[in-house]
Amino acid sequence: MPDQTIDYEGLIPGYKFPSATYELSESFVSKYLKAVDSNGDEFVPPLAMTACAIATMTKSIPVPPGTIAIHASQDLEFLKPVPVGATIECHIGVAQKIGRGKMSMLILEVEIFDKDSEKVQSGRATVALPA
Amino acid sequence: MLAEIQEGKALDPVVKHITQEKINLYAEASGDFNPIHIDESFAAKTPLGGTIAHGMLGLAYVSEMMTSAFGEGWLSSGKLRAKFKEPARPGDTLTISGKIDCIEQKDGVSYANCNFECRNEKGEMIVTGEAIVKFSSARK
Repeated sequence: MPDQTIDYEGLIPGYKFPSATYELSESFVSKYLKAVDSNGDEFVPPLAMTACAIATMTKSIPVPPGTIAIHASQDLEFLKPVPVGATIECHIGVAQKIGRGKMSMLILEVEIFDKDSEKVQSGRATVALPA
Repeated sequence: MLAEIQEGKALDPVVKHITQEKINLYAEASGDFNPIHIDESFAAKTPLGGTIAHGMLGLAYVSEMMTSAFGEGWLSSGKLRAKFKEPARPGDTLTISGKIDCIEQKDGVSYANCNFECRNEKGEMIVTGEAIVKFSSARK
């Protein structure tokens, strides 16, 4: 997982966060299922993969001290069930940055691929950040 | 899974109680340690006045409802569009509900268009949105 932050001013349309690879091991999935208070089966809950992708991004965004980032909306499309034990690669890029007074709305494009480079999930997240 | 997929059919609701412990577990599982979720003294000083659950936690409950209703079809063809309206907080009991608004046929494939919402025990809207899922006509 990447653990580097980027310059806040660098969050402009076209910017790509460093991609991150996650192994969706049985222990990861059971930890996730415990957190969401749910039962599992042979497939990874699709939102567990989205959570990995979102974490890739939130770890890299240098929110100014004392301020907060708010997840405002989320669009998702699931393309393929992913079995427990699979490895995924998450890609996130900045699609738009819209200034709104003291806040910026960052629209991020999310894509998740399996080990065969087949897309298993895509989506868009809108995050409100201090401008 | 739903025995019958038809317009107007309500999806089986999901009810979850939010605790700080669950929020902390979600932070550990997802790797999202934003202090607004887990640091009570930090969160108390923000305009939100206290910790809030990750938006994706509420959305996970929506996905659980959709998976219960549509099974593997949701995992292979589900689409959702969600807006986070208000934060869920420790102590909240969330009820996630949904309904099949309409069924469409495109190129011989059936699609169930659903709406969903997640409200707390006070009736406040936490998450709202729409979802679409492909299904086999044999299940109608």
